[in-house]
Amino acid sequence: MTAFIRPRLRKPLRIALAGTVFAAAWAFRGGGAWQLSVAMEVTVLVGAVTTYVRAGEDNDEGALTGSRADERQKLLSLRSRALGWNFAMVAAFIGVTAGVAVKAAWWWPFLVILAVTGFAYLLGLSNYGVAEEGTADDVDTGHQTRSRSTPDRA
Amino acid sequence: MMWTPGTRPDPGQLLTVPEIVVLEEGRGHLRASHADREQAIDVLKAAFAQGRLARDEFEARVGQAFAAQTHAELAVVTADLPARMTAGQPPRAPARIREQRTRREMSQGELAAVLGVSRQTVISIESGQYLPSLPLAFTIARFFGLTVDKMFGPGGEAGP
Repeated sequence: MTAFIRPRLRKPLRIALAGTVFAAAWAFRGGGAWQLSVAMEVTVLVGAVTTYVRAGEDNDEGALTGSRADERQKLLSLRSRALGWNFAMVAAFIGVTAGVAVKAAWWWPFLVILAVTGFAYLLGLSNYGVAEEGTADDVDTGHQTRSRSTPDRA
Repeated sequence: MMWTPGTRPDPGQLLTVPEIVVLEEGRGHLRASHADREQAIDVLKAAFAQGRLARDEFEARVGQAFAAQTHAELAVVTADLPARMTAGQPPRAPARIREQRTRREMSQGELAAVLGVSRQTVISIESGQYLPSLPLAFTIARFFGLTVDKMFGPGGEAGP
């Protein structure tokens, strides 16, 4: 969908778009929030420009930011995201536990985060093939399948 | 037979990769990788096993190899030892890639451009920090005119 946009511009534009939508939400809120909305928009634009500059650097971060990552850099990104999600799950678990313990009203958003990350993990397992193991190719050979750890009785 | 940096080696004398880099390319100032240090330490181990080095000397040189920052410093550590002692231990895949690349007088950036990966990935592969995917391994092997087994296999041996 973004193939027509230069790789280096993709992430900065994404940041600018998401930030603008968020700033618009503050403006839509009404009252004095429009000032915060303007400040937020300026910050987002500065961030987008910074991202564009960093996307031109000759390092892993620049390659990832500039949407030109190779297989190793994509793996790095994947591992980092997985680490981030693990931290998020631990933080959410701590949040929901603490919220329940102190009878706070804010415990349920943490539960939502836990549920969403857990569901996303199961969705990933299903999507990436765990549920499609198929049939063992030796099922019709007449041999008894056994674990490698089973001692040889011969 | 021994080779001292700054002199010409005897005909037929085998040299380690760091020594080749120092001798043929005059690039002894280049920073050494983990793979380079491991190769030098393999030479030292073989020399120690054959009684060419006393334990004290062996331990001192291993320490020197670990501390070496450049190819020139590494070459000094193994300069008085024949590299052919490690003939039974083919170089590891990262060393093989580096060897093939230096033979073709290519920079890491040039190899990266040919392979369609980043320079950082070539550095990671050569330092043994990253094992390439099968498609990339095939691309690397084909580029150097070798099979994947010879390029990355434990018993592989880099060809000409």
